[in-house]
Amino acid sequence: MASNRGDGSGIRICCSAHPDAALIEDYRAGDQICSECGLVVGDRVIDVGSEWRTFSNEKANADPSRVGGSENALLNGTDLSTMIGPGTGSASFDEHGVAKYQNRRTMSSSDRALVNAFKEISNMADRINLPRTIVDRANNLFKQVHDGKNLKGRSNDAIASACLYISCRQEGVPRTFKEICAVSKISKKEIGRCFKLILKALETSVDIITTADFMSRFCSNLGLPTMVQRAASHIARKAVELDIVPGRSPISVAAAAIYMASQASDEKSKKTQKEIGDIAGVADVTIRQSYKLMYPRAAELFPEDFRFTTPIEQLPQL
Amino acid sequence: MAMTLQGSVLTNGNTATNFVPLKLEPNNKDSPEVFLNEASNGFGDCEKNGLNNGEIIEEVKETPSDEPVIDITINNVVCSFSVKSHLNLKQIAQNGYNVEYRREKWGKIHSQSQMVTMRLRKPYTTASIWSSGKVTCTGATSEDEAKQAARRITRSVSKLGYPKLRLVNYRVVNVLGTCTMPFAIKITPFSAKHRDIASYEPELHPGVTYRLKEPKATLKIFSTGSITVTAPCVGNVQSAIEHIYPLVFEFRKERSPEDIRTMQATKRSRGFKRKCSSDFGFEADEECITIDDGEEEEAEDFDSDQSHD
Repeated sequence: MASNRGDGSGIRICCSAHPDAALIEDYRAGDQICSECGLVVGDRVIDVGSEWRTFSNEKANADPSRVGGSENALLNGTDLSTMIGPGTGSASFDEHGVAKYQNRRTMSSSDRALVNAFKEISNMADRINLPRTIVDRANNLFKQVHDGKNLKGRSNDAIASACLYISCRQEGVPRTFKEICAVSKISKKEIGRCFKLILKALETSVDIITTADFMSRFCSNLGLPTMVQRAASHIARKAVELDIVPGRSPISVAAAAIYMASQASDEKSKKTQKEIGDIAGVADVTIRQSYKLMYPRAAELFPEDFRFTTPIEQLPQL
Repeated sequence: MAMTLQGSVLTNGNTATNFVPLKLEPNNKDSPEVFLNEASNGFGDCEKNGLNNGEIIEEVKETPSDEPVIDITINNVVCSFSVKSHLNLKQIAQNGYNVEYRREKWGKIHSQSQMVTMRLRKPYTTASIWSSGKVTCTGATSEDEAKQAARRITRSVSKLGYPKLRLVNYRVVNVLGTCTMPFAIKITPFSAKHRDIASYEPELHPGVTYRLKEPKATLKIFSTGSITVTAPCVGNVQSAIEHIYPLVFEFRKERSPEDIRTMQATKRSRGFKRKCSSDFGFEADEECITIDDGEEEEAEDFDSDQSHD
């Protein structure tokens, strides 16, 4: 039998035999069942599930059991306002063809900058095909920076670009500043400045870039076979270990290693310095400089099992 | 490696025989006020360090085995002061013979006719004069020279029609010093060890930026062993170098004879460049002010037309 426990905090239904047992709710019948003995204690419990059935094979754009878009609550705070959409049908236009209800009320003006920045980050990431995890991380960083308010004077686009750069780095797949520049309208100098400011503001640091981070991307953009890519990675790693190229940016060393590896391979994988420079974003004289440093010790740099279509002696010597 | 720092001796630049000095010092001979100052006063404190008059500071570090001597060269001292009177820049620009009023070059500031630049031949300095009477003077190679330049500027402005001008609020804002270690430095492991204080971004700048809180200074460490120090006073420059020496010594790398040859070649060409610029006049202003021992990557900055950092 059901019995009430009035303990001041409201009346709770429980099983008379087991007052402490949890009650299991059965929606279909509207019952509450004691978990110990199976006694039905509640009845006519109102079902709060949805009123219609949604079939999974129907490609509905909107799930009818949801109202409004998914909540970006972590980043926006409570955003429960409603936007009035553009009118459809003839009733929404008055006699001159001008839409009634023009004023789509701007919602959450305080977070307008945030929403814009997120959209910008998403656009930029889309252009270079970055996965969703990087975009989310960049959004989080932007939110933290925005709340900290010490970079308030800087353009939001610059902060957004720098956040995207940092998030790529933190995920272990760094993009060069030039690659971020290519999808953003901010100059490399400004992105670099914002990058340093953000690191100071959030008191984090990032790992230093290595040649290996960029090998797979550059090589696949150039269409080089895996053998060449592996050789180039080995060359670059060896060059940095032996410290043949002190003070050279890892991008330049990687580009020069790719050049060396591709020149040692067969005809159709030979790439010119200009092509490699285009992909990597380094000038071809830069590749030449690093290549000149690496050329004297080429024999040590190549992996042991590399098959030389063009032997080392015939490597170009610019 | 045990190293005892025996304090510093400020001299007028006797360089060690086994060490090539960092750059030519044209003003070394004509400065009359160089004297020995044996005291090592207040390393971290600018106010106590009243008397740093040597242009080249030598540090003698005594080790059990040998005595590496490191030359610190002061390249630039920036000072600011006020003449305590509102100035009519147009009149100064028209009447002064060494005054320049370039409208576009410095962007917004000049076009609002707020600032005028005056160059002195000796000491070779440039002063930016604002209409409020505040003046910033750059290009001097020692604190002493900076004071002398400030006095000369005040004098020459007062000759242009302001009879009673006084020099007030003189203070040295920034001192830039450079030095070279006798060894090359492996900056990648160095930056990995000092991750919290040092910042190394090879894409942005070829050197490690090391910011010290005490003594307050910013050091830029390059893989060739050159170190650039920017600090609020000359004593800080010295103590910063002393502070960084053991840290950098740990990551040293011996120089091969070919490296030494290329270094001497670039030094000779750079010295020639500076002499030429002082012959032809005031065009190479930027070079004289910031002679940064940017290394091979400087060539890279010219190569790659987009990297301007």
